[in-house]
Amino acid sequence: MENFKRLEIISKERSPIKLLAQMAKEHLGLEIEWIEPVKLYWVVGKEFSESVQNNLEEVFCDEVLENVVDTDPSIYQNIHFDFAVEVSYLPGVTDNSARAALDAFSLFPALNSSFKVASGKIYLLKGNLSNQEVETLCTELLSNPLLEKSEVYSKEKFLQNKRFKNYQFPEVKLGTKKVQVYDLNVSDEELEALSLRNTWALSLDEMKHIQSYYKKNEVQEQRKRKGLPVEPTDVEMEILAQSWSEHCKHKIFASNINYSQEKIQGFKSIEKKRVEGLFKSFIKRATSDVQEKRQLDWLISVFSDNAGIVRFDSNIDVCVKVETHNSPSALDPYGGALTGILGVNRDILGCGQGARPIANTDVFCFADGDLTRRVSKPLPRKLLHPSRVFKGVHKGVEDGGNKSGIPTVNGAIHFDDDYAGKPLVYCGTVGVLPQKLNSGADTFGKRQKAGDVIVVIGGSVGMDGIHGATFSSMELTEGAPATVVQIGDPITQKRVSDFLMEARDKELFTSLTDNGAGGISSSIGEMAELSHGARIDLSKNPLKYPGLAPFEIMISESQERMSLSVDKNKLDEFLSLCKRRGVQAAVLGEFTDTGFLDVYYKDELVASLDLAFLHDSLIPMELKAHWNGPQERSFWHEEKEVKSFNDSAQFIRESFLEILSRPNIKSKEKWVRQYDHEVQASTIIKPFMGKSSHGPNNAGVVWMAPHGGEGKRALAISCGMCPQISHIDTYVMTQYAIDEAVRNFIANGGNVEKAALVDNFCWPDPIESSKNPDGAHKLAQLVRSCEALYDTALVYGMPFVSGKDSMKNDFHGKDENSQQIKISIPPTLLITAIADIDDCEKITTSDFKEEGELIFVIGSCNYQKINASEFSRLYFKEEQEVEEVHLEKNYSLYQKINELQRKKILRSVHDISDGGVATALFESCLGNNLGAEIKINEGLNPFALLFNESSGRFLVSLKREDCDTFLQIIEGHQYLELGRIVNDSSIKINLPQSQLSLSLENLEKAWRSE
Amino acid sequence: MKVKTLVITGDGLNCEKETARAFSLAQSESEIIHINDLLEKPDFIQEFHILAIPGGFSFGDEVGSGQILALKLKHGFSEVLEKFIQKKKLIIGICNGFQALVKLGLLPNPFSQRVASLTYNKSREFIDKWVTLKGESETCIWTKGIKEISLPIRHGEGRIVFSSDDVYSKLKSNGQIVFQYTEDVNGSFEKVAALCDPSGLILGLMPHPEAAISQMLSPQGERVLKRGDGLLIFENAVSYVKENLL
Repeated sequence: MENFKRLEIISKERSPIKLLAQMAKEHLGLEIEWIEPVKLYWVVGKEFSESVQNNLEEVFCDEVLENVVDTDPSIYQNIHFDFAVEVSYLPGVTDNSARAALDAFSLFPALNSSFKVASGKIYLLKGNLSNQEVETLCTELLSNPLLEKSEVYSKEKFLQNKRFKNYQFPEVKLGTKKVQVYDLNVSDEELEALSLRNTWALSLDEMKHIQSYYKKNEVQEQRKRKGLPVEPTDVEMEILAQSWSEHCKHKIFASNINYSQEKIQGFKSIEKKRVEGLFKSFIKRATSDVQEKRQLDWLISVFSDNAGIVRFDSNIDVCVKVETHNSPSALDPYGGALTGILGVNRDILGCGQGARPIANTDVFCFADGDLTRRVSKPLPRKLLHPSRVFKGVHKGVEDGGNKSGIPTVNGAIHFDDDYAGKPLVYCGTVGVLPQKLNSGADTFGKRQKAGDVIVVIGGSVGMDGIHGATFSSMELTEGAPATVVQIGDPITQKRVSDFLMEARDKELFTSLTDNGAGGISSSIGEMAELSHGARIDLSKNPLKYPGLAPFEIMISESQERMSLSVDKNKLDEFLSLCKRRGVQAAVLGEFTDTGFLDVYYKDELVASLDLAFLHDSLIPMELKAHWNGPQERSFWHEEKEVKSFNDSAQFIRESFLEILSRPNIKSKEKWVRQYDHEVQASTIIKPFMGKSSHGPNNAGVVWMAPHGGEGKRALAISCGMCPQISHIDTYVMTQYAIDEAVRNFIANGGNVEKAALVDNFCWPDPIESSKNPDGAHKLAQLVRSCEALYDTALVYGMPFVSGKDSMKNDFHGKDENSQQIKISIPPTLLITAIADIDDCEKITTSDFKEEGELIFVIGSCNYQKINASEFSRLYFKEEQEVEEVHLEKNYSLYQKINELQRKKILRSVHDISDGGVATALFESCLGNNLGAEIKINEGLNPFALLFNESSGRFLVSLKREDCDTFLQIIEGHQYLELGRIVNDSSIKINLPQSQLSLSLENLEKAWRSE
Repeated sequence: MKVKTLVITGDGLNCEKETARAFSLAQSESEIIHINDLLEKPDFIQEFHILAIPGGFSFGDEVGSGQILALKLKHGFSEVLEKFIQKKKLIIGICNGFQALVKLGLLPNPFSQRVASLTYNKSREFIDKWVTLKGESETCIWTKGIKEISLPIRHGEGRIVFSSDDVYSKLKSNGQIVFQYTEDVNGSFEKVAALCDPSGLILGLMPHPEAAISQMLSPQGERVLKRGDGLLIFENAVSYVKENLL
């Protein structure tokens, strides 16, 4: 018989979690006076002897800090609280504390492997709250009902000891499941229904394609010979559904598109055309055309591996990948973001022969936390409050990066109300590969061959993450399946990651890839292409709990797993190293050259798919794109209050403060500092610099010597996105996004002539249907964006080396009146750039250095007229014009800036983007607490000068004596001598008729406002 | 004979490379060894003069930061460590390594009742920030001559707590309070950032000296590749070994 022990570990000091109280107030309007946590564990085992008891206390309790409560709750008598909320995991959810506790148990002979552990948490709450309000707190803040259950105790009930006497260990109980066969000889309606019912996300055309394939005589003959039913098995249907999902196959980027548009004055006119694959026609072609035009010899592997690989110097290669994890983050922000960052780390680990991650980037798009107070309409039902999404995502990325020992060096947070339905969570990773292994073999590329053994390492599989790939290829609805949500386990992955680096250097495997979307159905399915076949036995795959159907094992996206091919002769050594490093490994089968992916469950063949059919038989979709020109934005709600503009000098003060406090501009320091941005001791441009350590910078710069690079070399990593102008024109939006990413690395000294780009498209559904009437316009927006991407890459001479897209970012739900509501994201393109820096001593930063130095704005902009900007969106109802991007001119300016940096003439360089010159000026003052005195000449519109946002501009400072050389070098480019740096904590603005002074203290207060 | 440093890794520790690099720059040979390999031959530790437990997130900070690593060290290396300490060799625990040394009971007073621990920052948030530290310990070998130093902190559980208030004053008068922050960054008692044992040979600190070995890594000042202040701590240890153990 099993017994159990409940241990509550309570801190000796009373210390509240202020953030939770603040969030309760912010988004639920509930006042909590006090909330503090108590750790909770359940241990299940046969016998709890005295030594077991002692060992448990030693494991779970720090005697200096904590007390253990395991039978008598009287210790709670003297603590002031009204309610206790107990939160524990639902069966099958990853429980990292329990996993770690079992590691500790293994040290004690008495705590043998028959013991099981589960963890939970108790919150002691004080506040004048009704039972209903406490319930609301439970579901909206303290737990996520998709993953956890909660129970509320009154203080009186909590002082009783009943809860120590009853316990049900959270175990998944599944019945035995057999392999099913699907009869596809049914009507079209039934085919569609079948696809929907099984979350396959296969279109009718795709279902019919499968139907006709299985009807072929030779296919049926072959299946009979192998002893398979002629109809597809569930394992086969699931493999096809995962592999053909939009998420894995990128069908929209491969489709044939017929594009047309209205002719509209002032916007790029693209002729009517048929695009045969956006990826092929624009992205891949941009890279090959740039490579040819510039004779680039440093592109090692692009668009073929898990990440793009470029040659960095004579020692090392650098690889880069950016992923999105939007749908999972919408359902469980913490788990979704955590698995997002760990997932992209695995892409790097699985790149070439295994690269080491050296830096992360994170870009988020949310609605701002103030939304519910600001607008007239409550959030649609079932949507999480935007500040809960933000905080959860942030915490997930924090834990993912910090616990993996990978610095988060760059990122952004962008706010727009239309991200309320689906947040965007971009996670990027940069890795390093030595160019050669000990044997002299190259580290890029895969070397597997038929006969190599298939090994899966890392975690076990469970129901979690089943149908993740297909689910994220569909729009988000209220009834999203809970199995797609899961929590990551950074430490299991860290062990895998350390192991892989060691095994790579010992050359113990021939190739590897990450198990991400679609699980092993995708990873082994794709790897099988290299040797032309694979045979696996699913019963060999370790399970979290018994009862999974074969197809579930095949497609589970349980985290922290990699698939590898291992030469038979190295297998013993490989497995023995796994064991010594505490990494679970399972041999599933071997790679073959039969042309088939054969899947067994024990002795039974449960799937046999022709690789040619699986990978190369899909016919591209035929889609229509038509651009209607710029569109007015229509939101799903209305703003309660609209601010108005006046052109007095005093209004400069008011608007300066207001602009700095806007969600898209205000300080993100509080959040950024919770990421470790300098572990690995190589981050030389940090997010904030200067004596005050508050001066925001543009790019993250990593010194490469600690990673095996040549002495002074460094790598700049930056990003750019401009979804706020997508509704006007995605062609210009794309130019702006690329230019912003480029400006950001230029500002810190990145070489404009040696840079590579990564594209990540997140779009609302671009396929026209009755549910999606403006699909053709959205697809046209996508075509225009890709056109601009190609055009810009060519002028800037920068190849794309990797990219990804996420295409169904719409939310369908019901509002407070049960009316249908749809929230689609604005078309969003994230550009990530990496650029070489050959001498890290020539890097520039954004902070002003010394009093008396001159401040210039360089780059072109019309200062007569207010243009589309944060400023115009705030104060004008009517849309203002977006200023044109002058690509050639920009590129030439960037070369000049690089020249000035090499000559050490620029003392500070800061990109001018959101919030215009005013914001850049304020941020440059902040780093070393210096002020500025500037002059706005007659004939210029002071608001345009301070707040306009055009591309290709920088705020720079330099010594007076370098002024002539500076002007000589930038000859031919627009510039403005703005003023000088002063040793006074204020920004003084001299206007033709008046003067005004803003103290840095007040500006900073506005910038840091909550 | 050369000065030899052992840097432990595994189970989620993650600053082993930069820690080994810092010792190498300070002219010590340094070797990174996985804790599981060391468990197979614990006596191998005796081959080294300096033992470093670097920063990271051993066991994911689950159950308590450094807690399970401390148990693992205790069960695998108790005797070996005792011998190592008796031979007047040096030990440093940085960040997660410091948490493990404290929970193992080696700091502040080895082989006696535990009187200190490290727990959640007052804000309950992780923080990455460069801080200024003041030091006046005459006892600590590692920090000899360092009155003030700027180093980064990167932790969520760096608040030092003592079992009673008089512990602090005893440690202070013993010279075992090695560094104190000049501002309140995490709610640590009397802003304590680093502790050593009574001999000054065992140092534990929350800030990361291995991340301050070059001026290039500082958030302020010129971007030049000249030596950073953090290096001094590793050099002090190496000099001690040269003078006393070789």
